[in-house]
Amino acid sequence: MKFNKIINITTSALFAFSIFAFAIAFVVTPDADFSEEENRSLTTFPKFSWDALVDGSFSSKINEYFADQFPARNSLVGIKGVTETLFGKGENNGVLLGDDGQLAVRLFTIFKSRLERTADMDYFYPDTVAQSVDALNNWAKSTDLPVATILPPRTVDVAASAFSYPTEISDALHAQLNETIAPEANYIDLLPIMREKYDAGESVYLRTDHHWTTYGAYIAYTEVMKSWGMEDQILPQDAFSVEVVEDFYGTTWSKAGYKFIEPETLEIWTVGNEDQFVTSCISEKQVKGEDGKPTAVKEAYKTFSGWLDRDFLTQKDKYGAFMSGTHNEQTVFLGDGNTGRERLLVVKDSFVHTMIPFLCQHFDIVVINLSGRVANITDYVEEYGCDRVLVVYNWANLIENNNMAAVQ
Amino acid sequence: MVFSSLLFLFAYLAVTLFLYYLIPNMKYRNWVLFIVSMLFYGWGEPLYIIVMLASITEAYGFGFLINKYRESNIKKARFYMVLSLAMNLASLLFFKYCNFFIENLRLLPFLTDVIAPIEGLKLPIGISFYTFQIMSYTIDLYRGQTDVQRNYVAFGTYVTLFPQLIAGPIVRYHDVDDQLTTRKETIDLFSSGARRFVVGLAKKVIIGDACAAYYEYFKASDAFADSAAGAWMVMIFYTLHIYYDFSGYSDMAIGLGRMIGFRFLENFNYPYISKSITEFWRRWHMSLGTWFKEYVYIPLGGNRVGKLKQYRNIAVVWFLTGFWHGANWNYILWGVYFGLILMAEKTFLLNALKKTPAFVQHIYSLLLIGFGWIIFSFTDASAGLNCFASLFGIGTSTFCTPTIGYQILHSLPLLVIGAIGATPLPKKLWDKLCTVDWISVGAIREDGTEEPIYMEKKELSVRGKVMAVATTVGTMAVFMVCVAYLVDSTFSPFLYFIF
Repeated sequence: MKFNKIINITTSALFAFSIFAFAIAFVVTPDADFSEEENRSLTTFPKFSWDALVDGSFSSKINEYFADQFPARNSLVGIKGVTETLFGKGENNGVLLGDDGQLAVRLFTIFKSRLERTADMDYFYPDTVAQSVDALNNWAKSTDLPVATILPPRTVDVAASAFSYPTEISDALHAQLNETIAPEANYIDLLPIMREKYDAGESVYLRTDHHWTTYGAYIAYTEVMKSWGMEDQILPQDAFSVEVVEDFYGTTWSKAGYKFIEPETLEIWTVGNEDQFVTSCISEKQVKGEDGKPTAVKEAYKTFSGWLDRDFLTQKDKYGAFMSGTHNEQTVFLGDGNTGRERLLVVKDSFVHTMIPFLCQHFDIVVINLSGRVANITDYVEEYGCDRVLVVYNWANLIENNNMAAVQ
Repeated sequence: MVFSSLLFLFAYLAVTLFLYYLIPNMKYRNWVLFIVSMLFYGWGEPLYIIVMLASITEAYGFGFLINKYRESNIKKARFYMVLSLAMNLASLLFFKYCNFFIENLRLLPFLTDVIAPIEGLKLPIGISFYTFQIMSYTIDLYRGQTDVQRNYVAFGTYVTLFPQLIAGPIVRYHDVDDQLTTRKETIDLFSSGARRFVVGLAKKVIIGDACAAYYEYFKASDAFADSAAGAWMVMIFYTLHIYYDFSGYSDMAIGLGRMIGFRFLENFNYPYISKSITEFWRRWHMSLGTWFKEYVYIPLGGNRVGKLKQYRNIAVVWFLTGFWHGANWNYILWGVYFGLILMAEKTFLLNALKKTPAFVQHIYSLLLIGFGWIIFSFTDASAGLNCFASLFGIGTSTFCTPTIGYQILHSLPLLVIGAIGATPLPKKLWDKLCTVDWISVGAIREDGTEEPIYMEKKELSVRGKVMAVATTVGTMAVFMVCVAYLVDSTFSPFLYFIF
């Protein structure tokens, strides 16, 4: 047989084999509901209906289903990550790859209005940010309580030097916030501090996750305390013992598909009195009152000692251990919360989860997650009898939604 | 369904190839193709299958009448041909252009309240392509260039054949009529098809989609920081995107065709190396150009009429070419734009160009092609005009921002790879390394003649053998990388779908 013939037979056989092998493997491997590695639910087989077929939604779901449940998905995602690196793009799936394995989300889905968003973009709409700032200003001007506002910058803003990434957009957002936030909101500008420390080689932001490190949270905590004139109460760094959790891969790593990145560590800082604290996750439900009308009643659906939910430490989403992840409403009290300490209301996103362990040493804390709902801070202040308010909302959220514009 | 999807590769193609080769008899193999092609189409357009079947049945039926009279009574034959074409075109006009006409007529004050666009009228995928294929049968038959097709399944297979159903190449009937009933599947053809398919898939998935993402990025960033450099990138990456997208699709179609024994004509011949627009249109989407040449330009008299009529013919063909691409003014403008350039080239420009150095001719061609793509890609005229003005720094705030500079720097490798890949250089290098052209097995030349299927004359040299093995391994590796891109894909539009 001629050599060409052998080659052509081999090519045909390999091509056909690869198609059939994947097809068979796809059929025989059971579907997974959840991907640990990506920390998200996977698409399962969509429900068929004639309408869904006609309007095309069935087809697009099937394609998602195929991609999510595909055999060796994680390895294939890794292959793409490597290939993209070879192209010299410096990023994959909108995540920058920097020095020493530093990752940072660069492209966001930016919010213009409820109906208009621009996907995969590195700019921001100043108007969206202005709406949020206006709401914050108006509320801050209306309250007599001591207030502090921190808007944590994104990794790409802090760690720009790791990617030789221009700081032009970061600086524009930074300037807008500094110029427009009213003094009443007591805004603490963290970007210069964090950037300086990052450039000095200090680990203030995580490498593989969009959050800051526990040390970064500690810095934010000290800045907040200082702004309230409580610098004498700040717990020094050496007051903490540090527990190191190994093998942590964050959300940015999941998005990036750079499987060759080394895992990092997550630090848990404790002073030793943690078991005296109680964290409750609270939900509101409608029950029939005595007069027969439905009234809202709050109840704790989850309560645990301290602020650390150790179950998360054995999973991929280790950051979720702090405050047991995101909940709409939580309290972190010393004992039953009636020890006479000051009460602090925290209106926040997940950046504050690593700050709470520090703050709860000084205050009983009520935590409200800033989601799409109207966030009536005044109501919460009254309900819980709070003495102070801290607002924590990071820049990614600020440009990706206008939830903060609902603050009142 | 699109070729560059996991569903197509690992469900549809797997089942199709399995069934096709399970059945030994050509007649039933056509049945398989006809049925699976309908499924392929129905997956995206379950209702519009009826429209397609109606067009097929109509042309099939009239075929008998045209055949009956074409020797005895040419007038009658002509009547049936015109009737058949009219019915086919009516369907295309209705589904594709109806609302466009209504919307434009509504601009007349006295019609605004009288007529309204038809709600829910969606463009059936691929209607522009299959309508043209069906028409080619009717005309070829009338001209006596082919015999009547008595077998409904064979004719249906010709129209619906999934490799070329929704985005071409537009296969003329007389190019494949023999293949419908007597094609021969061979291992050489299959392997060359597999290689060609993988090349097309890589062009689309690895380069085309990345260019599309850069195009979208630069276009969107214009809303935040309008810069001249950004506008150039919009133009360059659209130019690359549409080539890799569309020629990649054609490669996949040709490759799939070979896997089931068909040999389609080439659709692209390195269009971006053209030295004039006249040449560009001989190299770009050749199956469409040929169709218009054979069925419109030449019947109108082509070049063999007076000067004035020649210009009229060019005008007609290029208006239609533009309009064929979409029911929108920008496509008409795009067609007219090229029509005017072609007229100018015909009159004097071509002769003048030939006196200039080659690089001037290349720059001239690429710029005009690029400007054309701006017209083509912006359905919103004012946005297109803005982009065009930005190229020359009109209305821009800056030449380049640091962020856009960063992006340009990091998209440069892709740009260079894309640019080199659009020339014959890689192929030439490969052929040279391989010493024999066994890779181009079964290709069809531009003039329609086939390259011999088996070119190996002597025993391969050691280098030839190494290259052959490397090609096989490389093909599979690239295929796996493409699958990886599909698994982790966020963005993968197919341009020629909307036409």
